[in-house]
Amino acid sequence: MNPAKLHTLLRSAREPSAVAHFSADDWNRCLRAARTERVLARLGYRIEDAGALDHCPAVARDQLLAARAYPAFLQCRVAHEVSQVRRALPAGDGDLILLKGAAYCCTGLPLTRGRQLRDLDILVPRTRIDACERDLLAGGWEAQTLDDYDQRYYRDWMHEIPPLRHPQRDVEVDLHHRLLPLTSRLRPNPDLLWESSIPVAGMPGVRILSPVDMLLHTATHVFHDGAVRGGLNDLWDIDELLRHFSAQPAFWETLPERAARLDLGRPLYYGLLFAHALLNTPIPEAVLTEVGRRFAPARPVSTLMRALVSLALPPQEGRSAFAGLANWLLYVRSHWLRMPPHLLLPHLFRKSLRRIDGVDHPSGRVDKR
Amino acid sequence: MTLSELLQAPDRRGLADNGLVYRSGPFIIALRTRLADTLDLLEQFYGPCWASRGPAVAHFQVEINSASGIRRWWRAQAVFALDALHPFEPFPREHAFPLLEWGLNWSIATRAHRYLMLHAGALERNGQALLLPAMPGAGKSTLSAALAYRGWRLLSDEFGLIRPTGGDILPLPRAIPLKNRSIPVIREFLPDAFLGPVFPKTRKGDVAHLRPPLPSLARQTEPAQPRWIAFPRFVPGLRRPQLKRLDKSLGFARLAQNAFNYRLLGEGGFMTLVRLVRECTCFSMDYGNLAAAIALIEEITADEPC
Repeated sequence: MNPAKLHTLLRSAREPSAVAHFSADDWNRCLRAARTERVLARLGYRIEDAGALDHCPAVARDQLLAARAYPAFLQCRVAHEVSQVRRALPAGDGDLILLKGAAYCCTGLPLTRGRQLRDLDILVPRTRIDACERDLLAGGWEAQTLDDYDQRYYRDWMHEIPPLRHPQRDVEVDLHHRLLPLTSRLRPNPDLLWESSIPVAGMPGVRILSPVDMLLHTATHVFHDGAVRGGLNDLWDIDELLRHFSAQPAFWETLPERAARLDLGRPLYYGLLFAHALLNTPIPEAVLTEVGRRFAPARPVSTLMRALVSLALPPQEGRSAFAGLANWLLYVRSHWLRMPPHLLLPHLFRKSLRRIDGVDHPSGRVDKR
Repeated sequence: MTLSELLQAPDRRGLADNGLVYRSGPFIIALRTRLADTLDLLEQFYGPCWASRGPAVAHFQVEINSASGIRRWWRAQAVFALDALHPFEPFPREHAFPLLEWGLNWSIATRAHRYLMLHAGALERNGQALLLPAMPGAGKSTLSAALAYRGWRLLSDEFGLIRPTGGDILPLPRAIPLKNRSIPVIREFLPDAFLGPVFPKTRKGDVAHLRPPLPSLARQTEPAQPRWIAFPRFVPGLRRPQLKRLDKSLGFARLAQNAFNYRLLGEGGFMTLVRLVRECTCFSMDYGNLAAAIALIEEITADEPC
């Protein structure tokens, strides 16, 4: 990929000091896209870390700094929700694992800075999920009213139960028992995640995934479970997780092996490939080669995916027909990976009937964005 | 270059394609529009403001244009876009200007979090500012408008932008949207002030915009130090305005309720508000007529050293 042809947002993320040479038009495109992709505050921190904030025009700096308030507010809210959830679940009943944003936020990982965080994602063992749900309902959380079909969709097929929400607080709590739907093509074993999870200091009963698993989860979230489009924020997570954890001893050595063990080799391959291509994430050549050799799909599929993701993942301005097609194909792919055809086709049929009714149902979501 | 000079230039048509950039208070706005009537009104209301044809980094990239398709001809509509997204339903085409003004206010309120944003009228005299925080309908626009033509410099009729670093207030003088019965009241009270066309039956009823006094616009980057906070409330038929001194704690609580982004700013918002209330005298003021309210404000602001 030719860096000079990349969107200014990607250019600024790859090489933050390059913003010193941005024209006004470059800035306007960059700021607009950064807002749409929800990474404006994150970009600001990256530019600041590179010592380039003072080289930004005042109007751009205003926006980079103003954008910090909202993510900080959201994170504060989710941290509060975590403490509420812990209070509602009896301490003796076993641990829970914080996933994604809540994990970054509660452990103070650097990538939490400027990161928008709406939902609280929690992993509990499947054997305990009903009890947890009961405890939260007793503690005042409420389930969205769902019809029988949605209930079945979640409980029989998904990796989470229907979202819960406390009426006085605007945070969605998603209780998971695994990383991917029960119907998904890939089947990472949650027991393995529990075995290598890490306790959070100062929060008894609360754990996070190991660094390698955290990365694999994020890659899976974008490249297996999601529709890719709008996933720049997630790719940014992959980038920052890699930059942060690569300093740990044996991180790179354990990553491919762990991916194989969890059945997440393919998402890892895409995650590394596109983080490197779009955000210039530093990844040892040997790791890229090994992961490619072990986990890349057949050549035609790989070529097609490169083409589609290169259209769908960078900021999309206006609407090119190609990007529209790429979005659609990746959307279809995400469903295809999510459910086998004998479940998927009736499900999509139901969804389209509902769309005609003009009702938006939660089971119609590919992801929660 | 001022907006007037820019819009009176011979090749104004070029602006429709490439857009224009202008300043409103601390904000730079990049506007694209093909609507000649909107450009005319923009010139009438913001003529003395800095503007440019060339590209400039903007806080807000907005567009106001006719809806496409059948809506261009049949019950024509105007559409507001921010960053190429459409946050609102279209308005009738003839309400394009109020839609632009309203859309910009919304954009500011949802984004300008470098400031603690109070929902308040704000005026300045001798470098000292009077804040009039109130919810919509309490008469803060009308009172701000009247004071702006009676010796005060208008900072804003809607936003008290408090800068956390200095505790000072930044001006944001914009066209003052007068609603319904305020229109004839101000017409009578300020017969010489420039009032734009009446837009009937908008979402907020009839609306007509009052132009801020020209010096307010010319001095729109000069901050001021807050000194007085008066919570106004319009009470129809009240002959003599009623003034009550408020404890600072109560003033603080009411401002925390009133601000657009107090909760969002967390600790920073708290610190800014504490400082603001410490530096100001707080009042509540019920009034039923403008002249008496202005006289009372003169009284409470007179004894302060300049």
